[in-house]
Amino acid sequence: MTRPVGNCPNCGAKIVFQWSSSVQTVCEHCKSILVRTDIDLKKVGVVADLPPDVSPIQLYTEGVYRNRSFVVVGRILYQYDQGGWNEWHLMMNDGNSGWLSDAQEEYAISFRASGEKLPAETQLQVGQTYDWNGDVFNLTVITKARYRGVQGELPFEYWDKSEVTFADLRTASKKFATLDYGDADPVLYVGEFMEFDDLKMKNLRQFEGWR
Amino acid sequence: MSSVTPPSEGPPKAETKPLNCPHCGAAITLRALGQAVVVVCEGCRSILDAQDPQLKILQTFQKAMASDPPLIPLGSRGKIRGTEYEVIGVQRRSIKVEGIRYLWHEYVLFNPYKGFRYLTEFQGHWNDVVVCKDQPIVDARLSIPLEANYLGEIYQHFQTADANSDFVLGEFPWQVRVGDQARLTDYIHPPRVLSREKTGSEITWSIGEYVYGQDLWNTFHLPGSPPEAMGVYENQPSPVGADVKAIWVVCGAFLICLLALMIGFEMQSKKENVFSVRYHLGSGDPTGEASFVTDVFELSGRTSDVQVTTWSDLQNTWIDVNYALINVDTGRAWDFGREISFYSGYDSDGAWSEGNRTDQVTVPSVPSGRYYLRIEPEVEPLHPPIEYTVELQRDVPVYSFYGIGFLALILPMAAVTWRSFSFERSRWSESDHPPSPIFTSSEDDS
Amino acid sequence: MIRMIYLVYGILVLAAVGAAEFRGWSLDSMSTVNNVPKSVRDNPGSYRSVYSSYHHYTGGK
Repeated sequence: MTRPVGNCPNCGAKIVFQWSSSVQTVCEHCKSILVRTDIDLKKVGVVADLPPDVSPIQLYTEGVYRNRSFVVVGRILYQYDQGGWNEWHLMMNDGNSGWLSDAQEEYAISFRASGEKLPAETQLQVGQTYDWNGDVFNLTVITKARYRGVQGELPFEYWDKSEVTFADLRTASKKFATLDYGDADPVLYVGEFMEFDDLKMKNLRQFEGWR
Repeated sequence: MSSVTPPSEGPPKAETKPLNCPHCGAAITLRALGQAVVVVCEGCRSILDAQDPQLKILQTFQKAMASDPPLIPLGSRGKIRGTEYEVIGVQRRSIKVEGIRYLWHEYVLFNPYKGFRYLTEFQGHWNDVVVCKDQPIVDARLSIPLEANYLGEIYQHFQTADANSDFVLGEFPWQVRVGDQARLTDYIHPPRVLSREKTGSEITWSIGEYVYGQDLWNTFHLPGSPPEAMGVYENQPSPVGADVKAIWVVCGAFLICLLALMIGFEMQSKKENVFSVRYHLGSGDPTGEASFVTDVFELSGRTSDVQVTTWSDLQNTWIDVNYALINVDTGRAWDFGREISFYSGYDSDGAWSEGNRTDQVTVPSVPSGRYYLRIEPEVEPLHPPIEYTVELQRDVPVYSFYGIGFLALILPMAAVTWRSFSFERSRWSESDHPPSPIFTSSEDDS
Repeated sequence: MIRMIYLVYGILVLAAVGAAEFRGWSLDSMSTVNNVPKSVRDNPGSYRSVYSSYHHYTGGK
């Protein structure tokens, strides 16, 4: 899927390039040598390309988180200066809402949580530590992101915000937390990083050429 | 509530133009010669004008690629830990240590479900690397901690250096540019390596495991052979296995068994005095051919050895005793000659002495039965009176075998330990903590 | 892996030493002679030791 595709200008057959900036390929049908004209050659060897931002999760994907099964019912696409990520809205089998974030195929499950003394947006500083529900969280990243799009059902009203601040907090283990400053008051989400295999997901998006 | 459908996703679209022969439109042959691309038309044999816009694109591209072609071509697919990945990008980075530039390559591998992992290559040494999900624990008080704890294992600081990106092709999860700098710190716990990368204020930890080039060449179906691995790499597994100490424990156990064997045989050996007779040779007695036989004696028990001791308080003379231990019934004989001598005197340095008054020899594997000795002594012509004693002992432990057994157990251990020792020295000689030289030069600096 | 090899090797060494001790082997150099006639008891001089000053074994009778 990182292989750019096109149509042969001579015969119209589908052509594929080996990698993102590969300039040359051969049409399997008519054997013409085809050269890419949309690559900035000044960047070759100098600047990397960015891989396309395509999540393997889609609406109605099913999975399991620690013995609780879920269905994906909604989606928020975020974008920031270094790329984007997806927040998939989950309907858990007990009726609660959960979130599955997919940031370049790094997956994390989180749920809305309550915490004491949540800092205001102006008080945020990388390196601060907080004690919530018995875990020590270390503030690692502050991100300003924009909404790029939504899909499906979401548990709150979505309206066009120009920019939302998120604070990422990590612990010594796979547990993590996010502070969402979209509303007037910060909202805390607590969760953990998960391996793709552990979520046992079904009805995922199919990619051509991949199983 | 507004609902915005996300932009359609799929493989990126490419715009292309064909490379045609301007004269006859026939098939084109492309040859890459070093940094140049030469195009010949098969049909009309005309050489394509280098000003052809498509050809110019190929030429420029070839020039950029030829400077550092990736060892694993971009677009290659292979299985790592049971999941298929595609190589989508590569970068070359370098560090400078004591004036020497070291360069290595990092390949980006991608799977649409599992995400990204990396392969690093340095002088033929490969590592399979992923970003850490758990955070390693370090002593935050130190600017460069010497240890890191990751998933319960302690990693030792190996090297800290500033890395520069020199060359980049293809896709990276973040936009790498030539000239990007990062502070790299490696901690090792062979075969794994923990890397800390600091760019600006962002810190990323990765965990890598040493992999062998040939395994990668197999899984990516690459032609030829991987580059040969030079020297010892920071997390390269030791050829003798992780634990030389464990083998020493086995050696210790074996040595204890050897000791037990020795004590056991010592205790059960009969050491039976079978025979002890003193003979007399008066001065002037015939110098040879004075052979005689002893009485018959019994050697009992299982097939075992017989120790024959010859001794005499000689004074400045020698005596050769030729023995034959003969079985009365089977006619089998063991034939051996022994010599004892003793000389002493005074000279300018004081008293001196030379020679041995006692000789012991062990006759091997003598079955039980009735035996006698045929003895033939030999002396020098003008010999003084000699009294010599011959003694026989049945079933005596042979201690030299324990000595051989000890060496047989210790020597391979010494070889293995030395190999491991010099391997580890090689490993650490490339680090920020090189081992001190074993042999220091006695020369002064001028 | 090396541990396994050394384990087997060590057991073989111990077995060899045990066999040597049990069978009464020796490192001393020795020759064996068969069929020494009983007549040697009456005439010890007829036995020609390989270590005597003779250059070749002439045999006993």
